Amino acid sequence: MSALSEAWPDTYGDEAKPRMGFFTDTSICIGCKACEVACKEWNLIPEDGLVWTGESYDNTSELGANSWRHVAFIEQRKPLKVDGNGDTAELDVEPLRWLMSSDVCKHCTHAGCLDVCPTGALFRTEFGTVVVQEDVCNGCGYCVPACPFGVLDKRHLPTRPEDAPLELPLLGKQEDGRVWKCTLCYDRLKGGHEPACAKACPTDSIQFGELDELRERADKRLEKLQAENWNGAQLYGRDPDDGVGGFGAFFLLLDEPEVYGLPPDPVVPTKNLSEMWINTAVAAAATLVGAALAFIGGRG
Amino acid sequence: MQADGQGWLYVPQGLEDGPLPTHYEPHESPFDNPLYSQRANPARQQNEDLPEDPYNPPGSDEYPYVVTTYRLTEHHTAGGMSRFVPYLSELQPQMFVEVHPDLARERNLKHADWATIVTARSAIEARVLVTDRVRPLRMNGREVHQVGLPYHWGSRGLTTGGAANDLEHMALYPNVHIQEVKALTCDIRPGRRPRGRALVDFVTGKRERAEKS
Repeated sequence: MSALSEAWPDTYGDEAKPRMGFFTDTSICIGCKACEVACKEWNLIPEDGLVWTGESYDNTSELGANSWRHVAFIEQRKPLKVDGNGDTAELDVEPLRWLMSSDVCKHCTHAGCLDVCPTGALFRTEFGTVVVQEDVCNGCGYCVPACPFGVLDKRHLPTRPEDAPLELPLLGKQEDGRVWKCTLCYDRLKGGHEPACAKACPTDSIQFGELDELRERADKRLEKLQAENWNGAQLYGRDPDDGVGGFGAFFLLLDEPEVYGLPPDPVVPTKNLSEMWINTAVAAAATLVGAALAFIGGRG
Repeated sequence: MQADGQGWLYVPQGLEDGPLPTHYEPHESPFDNPLYSQRANPARQQNEDLPEDPYNPPGSDEYPYVVTTYRLTEHHTAGGMSRFVPYLSELQPQMFVEVHPDLARERNLKHADWATIVTARSAIEARVLVTDRVRPLRMNGREVHQVGLPYHWGSRGLTTGGAANDLEHMALYPNVHIQEVKALTCDIRPGRRPRGRALVDFVTGKRERAEKS
């Protein structure tokens, strides 16, 4: 892994706090989208288009600069529960389930966005979260392809005034192509509050807390759901040995991650950086040697 | 609910249709009452003398489907407050109609295209959301399809659209005087609704055919 990620959290010394995160238990998500609205209200995110998608009740479609929480709606002809043999347990002639899942920035242990940011706008907070500082970000966009989840996104507001969304009173200047993403409500955490989405969630599908404790809680919840034969119950991003070193915001899903539009095996792209540099050096050396040989050969 | 804070099953006085709860079919129901020969609530209030508020003749082929209305979490009542809030409007930005895949096939409705929903009162248009969630009703050996409508849209706000309440009739429950907004009959057709005079002709034409048959 890159040096930046390795250094955390020692860089904070005595100021380091326990690592905070989200456990999003999608088995109790009711799809109310209160998280999306609370997030936008607190963080003063602009409205980003009145577009009806026809994708069930999901009109947000994806995470982006103007959507830091996204509730996915998936309609399936699958039963909610299965028996031990994998057959339908309920006497349900036409099995049907409606999956809902509130997606968010994963606040990875090894964060690609953080590794590639040339300005230092992206930083690791004392809570172990990853935050973009809007007064430092210069909009270079390196972090956008560095995120294995497609979370990082540049904000583009319409240049023509007639296309502009309703003015938000506290946004003093026109936003300008900088990158915006979930901060895990860094300002609220500083004040000892939980993030806006977790606060607004009426079913506690979004749980906020110390990551170690959340992982324990998630293990127990998974055990319970599996004992009750819930179809496809699995944790996503809980494993600290995965390609991004585990998520700071992880999930309990009821089907494979792909079903929710999540990558099944995310890997931080900077993982291969040293190998790539070695390969480049080898190639450069080979080119030089080849060129030298060509001259030597030419003389002969 | 009574003054003592309890709900009563046996209510000796005060109810127009007491003293015991029972089942009646809605005014426009395509089914007979499975309990006894009295189909709909005999105490319901009807506006017999309101020509602008006609009823679909029960069982008419012109209005073969059941239509029901409901709320979405993103909007409040008919949307008069929430349709003016950008954060809520962007989450449910357009009026839609939910139909089962079988009904979509039957009426040639395409997902995300437009459909027109018509009753004896009016016709509105909505985007089509084909979904397994709206299941057909299977009763007395018959299958009747349902049409699902959120009722949050109207003519003003950040998002505008067909008002499901335009389709409602005024047969009122006797005690609370609320119209039967959850159970009506309708027809659904592909495409947008006619405009202006053509809309009136479309709605009255259908109603006249229903009354003749």
